[in-house]
Amino acid sequence: MPGKKTKENVVTFVTMTATKQNWKLHPDKEFLDMLIDGLMTNYNRYAYFSCPCRAASGVREKDSDIICPCAYCVPDQKKYGHCYCGLYLTPEFAKTGKKPKPIPERRPPEKDT
Amino acid sequence: MMSEQIQFTSEPGKNAKHDVTVYALSTCGFCKSCLKFLHDNDVKFKYVYYDLLHPDVKSAVKEELNKKYNERLMFPFVVIDDGKHVVVGFKEDMLVEFLGLK
Repeated sequence: MPGKKTKENVVTFVTMTATKQNWKLHPDKEFLDMLIDGLMTNYNRYAYFSCPCRAASGVREKDSDIICPCAYCVPDQKKYGHCYCGLYLTPEFAKTGKKPKPIPERRPPEKDT
Repeated sequence: MMSEQIQFTSEPGKNAKHDVTVYALSTCGFCKSCLKFLHDNDVKFKYVYYDLLHPDVKSAVKEELNKKYNERLMFPFVVIDDGKHVVVGFKEDMLVEFLGLK
């Protein structure tokens, strides 16, 4: 079992991911905080950053497509400007000042566990 | 029925015309927003965090909800009046309409 992640660890993870990909994080601090807490909970529960807005199986291989940043992040950003959770925004969407809204699930239903 | 054995958390509210049950994830931002929305609108409801259920209970609940409402289980999953309306995802406009919050 890998070590537990602290909140600071998760903040570093999402910040570095966003910087590397040239994405922006959710603009609302409170909402962002909930997602960071959710990622931390999931890491400390499953030992990987399972998407906080999807039910995880707890088996890494089955959840590989929903490990953050998930396999659906880029296609969802292209269509909606942000990922399913609202964590990662494109710089263009971020510039509009809009807040991410719930979007349809792109993950195929047969992958649900 | 598996869902009858789940320990739901009840939230009191003056808007008690409808029976409202929410299946949510404890980790999800939109789920938290949905619960807050119901709370802020003084809606009486009950909820459970699906991710905190035992794995065996989870699969049984998922199957039951799939079958009963013919909807894919995604979160938040809001059941109104035993399935008269099922709102999958935090769709504020639909909740306003179905719960008469206008």
